[in-house]
Amino acid sequence: MTPLYGSTAVAGIGVRQYKRGTSPLPERGVLTQAVIDACADAGFDPADVDGFVSYGDDHNEPVRLMSDLGTRELKWSSMVWGGGGGGIAGAFGLAAAAIISGQASAVIVFRALVEGSSGRLSAAVMAHHLNDHMLAAGIVAPAQVCAIRANRMYEHHGVSRAVAEELVRASYYHGSRNPDAVAYGRELDLDAMRNSRWIAEPFRLFDCSRENDGAGAFLMVSAERARDLKKPPVYLLGCANGAEKGWGDLLENDDEALYPTAGFRPIARRLYADTGLSPADIDVVQLYENFSAQGVASLIDHGFCTYENVAEVIRFDNLIAPTGKLPANTGGGNFAQGFIHGIGTAIEAVKQLRGESANPVPDAKIGLLAGGPGAPTVSSAIFGNIVP
Amino acid sequence: MLLIDGADAPYWNGLADGALMLPRCEACGTWLWPASDRCGSCGSIQVAWIERAMTGTIFSWTRTWHRFGFTEALDLPFVSIVATVDDCDIRLLGRLDDPDQLDPQIGEAISGRIGSTRVENRDIPTIIWSRNA
Repeated sequence: MTPLYGSTAVAGIGVRQYKRGTSPLPERGVLTQAVIDACADAGFDPADVDGFVSYGDDHNEPVRLMSDLGTRELKWSSMVWGGGGGGIAGAFGLAAAAIISGQASAVIVFRALVEGSSGRLSAAVMAHHLNDHMLAAGIVAPAQVCAIRANRMYEHHGVSRAVAEELVRASYYHGSRNPDAVAYGRELDLDAMRNSRWIAEPFRLFDCSRENDGAGAFLMVSAERARDLKKPPVYLLGCANGAEKGWGDLLENDDEALYPTAGFRPIARRLYADTGLSPADIDVVQLYENFSAQGVASLIDHGFCTYENVAEVIRFDNLIAPTGKLPANTGGGNFAQGFIHGIGTAIEAVKQLRGESANPVPDAKIGLLAGGPGAPTVSSAIFGNIVP
Repeated sequence: MLLIDGADAPYWNGLADGALMLPRCEACGTWLWPASDRCGSCGSIQVAWIERAMTGTIFSWTRTWHRFGFTEALDLPFVSIVATVDDCDIRLLGRLDDPDQLDPQIGEAISGRIGSTRVENRDIPTIIWSRNA
């Protein structure tokens, strides 16, 4: 076991989510509210927060939050590199690193996104990556980059396109039953999904996540301290972040075998080795799906299935709570719960392990947060409501 | 984003002069793409720019139907590909002629010509690929 194993915990969560373009407050104001909510959830004085971590080029430099939060002293202020959602799980590892090493004691992991303040996320992500090679090819959006990888996975590696639909349906099923989800109360119309307009082949509209305004925040403290706070601790058991040789920001020159993956092979290897856990120990998965095919690739990378048996595992019936064996995106995921750069998947990871999910997985103890797939740098984390 | 800036400047200057120039480590022969100033395989900083024919195969593709920002000069739909260039280990991003909207096949042989892509107020040299007849 590494020092990370069970030594820190999420003690509080806060999230504010709105339809894109309708946030009642500018970005920093929404973020402040989410942080206050997370502290209230834990019964913790927000002025005692002494560290902040974000990812994905968030615009809200923590020092600027101090006045609104009443912060006494800022001791840790850092960000996971990368323009996409690849760093979301790594942010928890970074917060834990600060706490374990004594450089901070109460760290907020956050992401805020309000279109009126920061523009469209898709444009911001691409601004991080764009170059003339991409512009000349007309490749200017995450959907297109992921579409090219998806076609390779489908056509060259023989993954059936039908499995992506199973994943999309599971997200919308859960979202329709989650009062906090954008899809709440609405059954997915299969014909509308199948006939929705093309974005970039093989993706139609329903293969793509859509953006929301809002902010999410997590209060992380030591496991010991978390046990004295209001809510049951959700322990961080493991976290891995990075990229292996042959994967990265390589102008599509990734290693041929890695090319159609979501980049998680080394992440999953380390995560399972560091925690002594395996895919069979995971009770529930929160899967960052920017696009349907990348969600499929992520599940393959994390060892839940292979190119050969993917159609047997990624089935609607198998993915839904409470009866499926691999319940995934039980809040609705990025597709149907909402998309504030993936922060909702991490919120659901915590809620599920507290028994607060709208679609509870019976007796769930261990949950995987699979971060943004296909990004040059990716990350994942394993949480537990026990430390096995 | 000046075309002549960066490690890949000879690539852009080559296209402007009508040739596909790609970088290879002089010491160990490894093709270096994205272009770099040091070979990560052997540590050499001697990079040779070699001309390659504009022939290759389709590695993967997408056909774009949605009007994304920066693509205003391209007629919808358009096909973008990753092309494996013959006689080297480099894959290039490019566009594929798509007159009949036939889905590209991975491994299909293609040939390129040098065109350009208008993005905002710039014309970026671009290899436009076509299926071999």
